[in-house]
Amino acid sequence: MGLIDRRDFLTMAGAVWAAALAPRATFALSRSAALYASAFRAPDGSYGVATLTEEGEIIAREPLPARAHGLTYSPITHRAVAFARRPGTYAMIFAPDNSVEPIVITSADGRHFYGHGCFSADGRLLYATENDFAGNRGMIGVYDGTNDFTRIGEFPSHGIGPHDMTLSADGRMLAVANGGIETHPDFGRTKLNLDHMEPSLALVDTQTGALIERHAMPDNLRQLSTRHVDIDADGRIWFACQYEGARNDLPPLAGSFARGEDIRFLALPEETTLALANYVGAIAVNRQDGLVGLTSPKGGTAVTVDAKTGQVVRQDSLADAAGIAAAAHGFIASSYSGQFGDAQSKVAWDQHIVRLGTL
Amino acid sequence: MRHRLSLFLSLGLALLSLPAMAEDVDEAAPVSAGLKLEAVPSVMQKAVDDFIRPGYRDLMEGTESLAEAAHVLCNKPSEETLGDVQMTFDEVVQQWSTIEIVRVGPVIEGNRFERFLFFPDRKSTGLKQVQRILATNDETATAAETLKGKSVAAQGLGALEYVLYGTGAEVLTSEKNGFRCRYGAAIADNLKSVAAELHAEWEKPDGIQAAWKTPGPDNPVYRDGREAATELLGILVHGVESIRDQRLRPFYAGIVKGEPDKGHPKLAIYWRSGNTMPALSANFMALQTLFNTADMQALLPDDRRSMVRAINYVLQAIVDDADQIDLPIDEAIKDEEQRGRLNRILQNTNDVLQRLNLDFGGAIGLGAGFSFADGD
Repeated sequence: MGLIDRRDFLTMAGAVWAAALAPRATFALSRSAALYASAFRAPDGSYGVATLTEEGEIIAREPLPARAHGLTYSPITHRAVAFARRPGTYAMIFAPDNSVEPIVITSADGRHFYGHGCFSADGRLLYATENDFAGNRGMIGVYDGTNDFTRIGEFPSHGIGPHDMTLSADGRMLAVANGGIETHPDFGRTKLNLDHMEPSLALVDTQTGALIERHAMPDNLRQLSTRHVDIDADGRIWFACQYEGARNDLPPLAGSFARGEDIRFLALPEETTLALANYVGAIAVNRQDGLVGLTSPKGGTAVTVDAKTGQVVRQDSLADAAGIAAAAHGFIASSYSGQFGDAQSKVAWDQHIVRLGTL
Repeated sequence: MRHRLSLFLSLGLALLSLPAMAEDVDEAAPVSAGLKLEAVPSVMQKAVDDFIRPGYRDLMEGTESLAEAAHVLCNKPSEETLGDVQMTFDEVVQQWSTIEIVRVGPVIEGNRFERFLFFPDRKSTGLKQVQRILATNDETATAAETLKGKSVAAQGLGALEYVLYGTGAEVLTSEKNGFRCRYGAAIADNLKSVAAELHAEWEKPDGIQAAWKTPGPDNPVYRDGREAATELLGILVHGVESIRDQRLRPFYAGIVKGEPDKGHPKLAIYWRSGNTMPALSANFMALQTLFNTADMQALLPDDRRSMVRAINYVLQAIVDDADQIDLPIDEAIKDEEQRGRLNRILQNTNDVLQRLNLDFGGAIGLGAGFSFADGD
C-alpha cells in the first residue's frame, strides 16, 4: 500500500482539478451546504465524486482515477471516502467542504477493495472490505486516519466476498454483508462460484476482529447474496440482497436482525418483489422516520418500507435507480441516467449515495 | 402505515424525492425506449440455434476426434500419430476459442469452464501439478473418471498442451502406452466428456435453449426481452473485456509511458503450441459471428443501425491483424511490424468495447451503457 500524492493522482486521473466552483454551483452552495456525496461518470467518460445539496444540485466535483462505488462519512472528523469499485485498488479520502487535500490510498499487495467501508465511531480509523484473493477469504482492512490513512492491520470478515458493512452506534461491532460470491482479479468481475455460494451476515468485534455471530442464509436461499446493510436507531441491522438463482423464483430480498436474534426477512408483497427484479442495489435507513429505502436498477424501482411494521409505504418507478439515502423526510434517490432527487445532471450517478451528516 | 403516510402527505413533505413519481405499485417495468422488443425472440433464437448449439456440437465432435487420436498415439507412437494429435488439438483450441465467449449457462456450472481450460495460471500452480503427475507417474491421472477428481488445472487444455509440447514430450513418439501418453489421452477423454455434457445441456428442448428463446414471467433465466437482450450484449462486452484483460495485456500491455511493453511471452495462452494468436483471432471472430448470426442489429432503432457497420469493421480489423501475427509470440513482441499489429489490436479492442458498451448499450436503452448498469 502506498500514498499517492495529489499531483500524481491528478495526473493519473487525467483530469483538471476544478477548485473554482461554477456560478450555478456557487449559488447552490449559498442556499444549502453539501448534504450528499455520490460517485459518477462524466459524459467524457472520466470518473469522479460529487457533493450535492439537499435538492440534488452539484456543489463540487473531485476527479477519481477509476470508477468508484460506495462511500462513507465521519460526522466527527468530517471526512468522506469513496471506494473503488471491485476489484479496484484505490480509495480516496476527502473533505466535503474542500478544507484539506484529498488523500488517495491503494490496496495492499494481495488485496483489492470490494467497494465499501466505514469509519470507527471516533472517526480515527477507517475500515474497508477487501479481498484476500489468493486465500479466497474476505478481509477488513484497517487504516489510521490520524496518520494519512496508513494501513495498520486487518482482520477476517468471516466470510467470502464481503461487500457493504456498517458500524454499531457504540462503535464496537461491524455488521458485514459477506455476499458469498468468490471473485478473483484475474477474472475481473466474473462470479466464480454461483453454484456453491456462501452468503452470510457477520457481526465482528472491532477491538479484536473476533466473530461475534454469523448468520448464514438458509439452505434454500444459498444463492441469495447479502450485499448491502444499514442500521436503524434501535441498532437493528437491515440488509438487502441480490439473488443469483432462477429468475422466476420470488426470494425474499431484504430483512433485518438485531444482535442475538435470528434474521427476519421482509415479507414484501409479490408485486414489490417482482418490481425489485431479484436485485436490490442499495439500502438506506431513515432513523428519524423509522423507514427503510431500497432501490433496484434492474427493476427500475425505489421502495420505502416501514421499519416497524414491514409494510411497503410507497413504491416508485425510477428507471436505472442507483443510490438511496435518508432525506429530511423519507429518502432521496438517484439514477444512472443523471437524476438525483428532482434534479437532473449530465452525469451517470453510481450505485450509492452517502449522507454527509446525521439527521 | 396508512396513518404514517397520511401524516407525511398532510405535512406536504416529499417522502421520496423522485422525478415523475408514480404512486401505483402496479406500475409497469420501465420501458427501454430504444430496444426493439419485438425483435428479441428471433435474435435469441438465432443466437442459440445458429451460434451456441453449433458451437458446442463442433466442440463435442472435435474432442471426440482428439480423444480418438490420442488413444491411437498411445498404441502406435510415431511422428505421424503425434502430428495427428497436435493437429486435432489445434482444432479443439479453435472450437473452444469460438464457444468460450459464452460464459453463461451450463459452462459456468460444476466448474466446467475451468475443467476445460484453467487460465491464467499466474503462479504456475497448474503447471506444477501437471509436472508432478508426470514426475510421479500418478496412475490415477490416466483415466478420465479419476482425473476428474483432481485439480481442474491438471485436466484441461493447458495440461494437454504441456503433455504434447512441454519438456519431455519427445517420448510420445517412441513409448508405446507410456505414462505421458496415457495421461494425455485421459485429459482428451475428460475434454470429450465435458464437451458432451455442454452439448447435451444445450440440446434439451425444454432446457436452457427454451429459456433463452422464450423470455417471460415463468422463465428461470430471463423474465423479459429486455433482460435477454442485455445478457446477449453482455456476452459481447464481457467477451471483449476479458480477452483484452486476461488474454492480451498479460503478455503485451501495449505502449506504456511512450515505450512498447517488453512483454511476458510466457504469460501468453497456448504459447507452447503456437496457438496464442490463432486462439485470439478465433475469440474475436466468434464475437463477430455471434453479433451477425444472431442479427443483433435488429434490436436497434432504425436510425441507430449505422453503428453495426463500424462494429463489424473494427472487429474484422482485429481478426485481420491477429491472423497476420505469425511469429512465435516472444519474437512477435520484438518484431516492429508484428508489435505494431499488437498495438493496433489493443487500440481496436478498446474502440470496439466502447462501441458495444456505450453505443449499442445506449441505443437499446441502457442509458449509461452496459457496463455501468451491471450493478454490484
